[in-house]
Amino acid sequence: MSHTDAPNQRQDAELPALGFTGTLRFLWVQLTSMRTALMLLLLLAVAAVPGSLFPQRPAGPGIVDDYISDNPAAGEWLDRFQMFDVYSSVWFSAIYLLLFVSLIGCVFPRAVKHAKALRSAPPRTPRLLSRLPEYGKVVLESTGPSPRDAVDQAAKILKKRGYRIQVRQEAEGNASVGAERGYVREIGNIVFHLSLIGVLAFMAAGSMLSYRGQKILVEGEGFANTLVAYDAFTPGSAFSEQKLNPFSMTLDSFEAEFDRESDTHYGQALDFTAVLGVRHGPGEPEQTTELKVNHPLDIDGVRVYLVGNGYAPEVTVRDGIGNIAFQGPVIGRAEDQVYTSLMVIKAPDSEPDQLGFVGFFLPTAYTGEDGVAISIDPELLNPELNLNSYYGDLGLDTGEPQNVYVLDTDTLTELNSRNLEAGGITLSPGESYELPEGKGSIAFDGVKRFVGLDIVYDPAKWGVGIFAVLAMLALGVSLFVRRRRVWVRGTTDPNGYTTVEYGLLARGESFGLREENVALRRQMERTWPVQAPKDADDAEGGPSTSDYKPPSGHDAHPVDIQAAMPAIHRPPESKPNTTENRPE
Amino acid sequence: MSNLKHSPGSAPRTPDPLRRPGRRQVLVGLAGIAALPVLAACSSDDPLAAQAGNADGKNYIAGDGSVLEIRPDERGEPVQFSSTLFSGEPISTDSLVGDPAVLNFWYAACAPCRVEAPDLQALHEELEPQDVRFVGVNVRDTVATAQAFERNFGITYPSVEDLNGQVLLAMTDYVPPQAVPTTIVLDRQGRVSARILGIAERSTLRTLITTVLGEQA
Repeated sequence: MSHTDAPNQRQDAELPALGFTGTLRFLWVQLTSMRTALMLLLLLAVAAVPGSLFPQRPAGPGIVDDYISDNPAAGEWLDRFQMFDVYSSVWFSAIYLLLFVSLIGCVFPRAVKHAKALRSAPPRTPRLLSRLPEYGKVVLESTGPSPRDAVDQAAKILKKRGYRIQVRQEAEGNASVGAERGYVREIGNIVFHLSLIGVLAFMAAGSMLSYRGQKILVEGEGFANTLVAYDAFTPGSAFSEQKLNPFSMTLDSFEAEFDRESDTHYGQALDFTAVLGVRHGPGEPEQTTELKVNHPLDIDGVRVYLVGNGYAPEVTVRDGIGNIAFQGPVIGRAEDQVYTSLMVIKAPDSEPDQLGFVGFFLPTAYTGEDGVAISIDPELLNPELNLNSYYGDLGLDTGEPQNVYVLDTDTLTELNSRNLEAGGITLSPGESYELPEGKGSIAFDGVKRFVGLDIVYDPAKWGVGIFAVLAMLALGVSLFVRRRRVWVRGTTDPNGYTTVEYGLLARGESFGLREENVALRRQMERTWPVQAPKDADDAEGGPSTSDYKPPSGHDAHPVDIQAAMPAIHRPPESKPNTTENRPE
Repeated sequence: MSNLKHSPGSAPRTPDPLRRPGRRQVLVGLAGIAALPVLAACSSDDPLAAQAGNADGKNYIAGDGSVLEIRPDERGEPVQFSSTLFSGEPISTDSLVGDPAVLNFWYAACAPCRVEAPDLQALHEELEPQDVRFVGVNVRDTVATAQAFERNFGITYPSVEDLNGQVLLAMTDYVPPQAVPTTIVLDRQGRVSARILGIAERSTLRTLITTVLGEQA
């Protein structure tokens, strides 16, 4: 029916039924239902897929930029839908926030319910214990205790086995005990879910308070924990400059150890050690510390990781007039295992023309037959600089930020390269080279080493760790602890003998219920003078301790509530799982 | 979900507690819920955060040109540091007290530093007769590289060598630089009166200095 047919009636029919609060309540119930939680979990898994299909900014912003420039049309739209920031995108956040709201809405009522269950007595004793999935019966000799005493003793046995018990006196001198164990299972379940919420809460706190930055430090250089000193910096959403601890450090030296014994892994890196002088604040004394890979420094809660290293050749560039235009170490980006390092040198203050150099630094240079030099070892056995030179406008004077590892040669004129008559520049330490056309010179003064540091502050990390461990422990508890109920009833049989009947019921799956039956029976036989079963008819109930048959068929059915009801009509096929006690 | 189970007229008007809500109500509610994480995730225009996912490889934290000016009664303690100029002479904040001072954090290969350098030099020349002290703080370069920059741009005010960041660190107690370049104006007592993150525009900086010049020591 369309809206125009009966808009008023439609309104009348709807609005009184559920007001605003009613709608909210309805949505809340829907959101916190198990079905919705599972759907959201599934959706979360699906939503994570683009994260593995497209390059992600946090992992490698450069790759994303390349991807967008390769696919300009699609890339722009993918970017608009945050396909390159999947895990921080609005839609991904929406799913997991809904999931956790759903989780919270589900777990808290459940915790309250369980807290009540903890204080309540074990359920009533069913009238017919023989209908329970596991059932047993023992008839005692005349020397045995009275039914009530027997039940008291059975209660003690159960208590010792970890059950919560309640003894009930019944008519005609009979008695029964109701027992339940495995409450920890539900506690484990609830703690697991609460821990997940804890993990999320601390992760959220972490993403707000944390910061992370990178810094490359050449031997002899220092770093002060201020924004200006970072090469790159990622603040948390609640970051403020005041949160930076005012520590500082200096790289005194760096040592790399390479494998010199193995045939197969010759030259592979074995160990890196950076020696740092650390000051915890302005004016504090300097402490010398070693920094190794995977052994971060902890400076007042800020962790400093050694994540990279390489060579920084020291060069001096003189301009056409003869003045030094640039002097100092230049970071070489190691491209492979033998530290073939990409070099970009910019001398924007050289006159009359700005000078730029691009090339490689080779720690151990080896020139092949084709005349191309390559590095064959990571250590400084035959260090060599192989450079091309350019002059012109480096593009720095426009104020546009520039990648320090890229020389934009579009606006530059080539001075030296393999393709030109002048050839490329090849320098060993101590050598210098006069550029063609009197443009200047470049000297290779020496080699320093540098380290790449990852500086991370995440105050909420410990909370995440603790709750993650707690979640695993609680999950273990909820998986391995079994929740079961036992009832024992003592009666007097027509012959005047005390008869003890017992029944077991598992909540959920009933693995091990049979073993519990056997164990209980064994203990009863040990406690009381039990009559040997007279014949097969009489012996219904109770497994022989020597004759174990695995339970058959219908053990994991939801017989829970039914069986706990005293008298219930049951179809014949759900006959209790009992075995006969065969006389020897 | 049927909204019209009851035909008009014969429909019972009593509210039925078990009725499911109308489609419109569900949609409004869902929109509300969907908006929650959007609101929660809404990001401020944080220029620092914007640089985080950026692959420009420029290797410094850039400023956005934002200006902070502090009223005299709200300024903090006088800035304290001592260091060495590229010329080898020692410098300390004690020697700056009494006159307004301008601290400029820079290095040679920083593109915005190269843009603002001529303006800083011009202001230095213009305000030198009024005893405004300009001091550069170089955070990256060796002496020779810094001198090449100074020669190239004709910079005549001195610069501190701060490769180890000790001046930067000292500034964290006051109004810290957050970018390269950062320009900080100190009043006659040595307190931070203004800070520019990013390129210092000439007229802006002149105004900030003029404010301090007009104050009594």
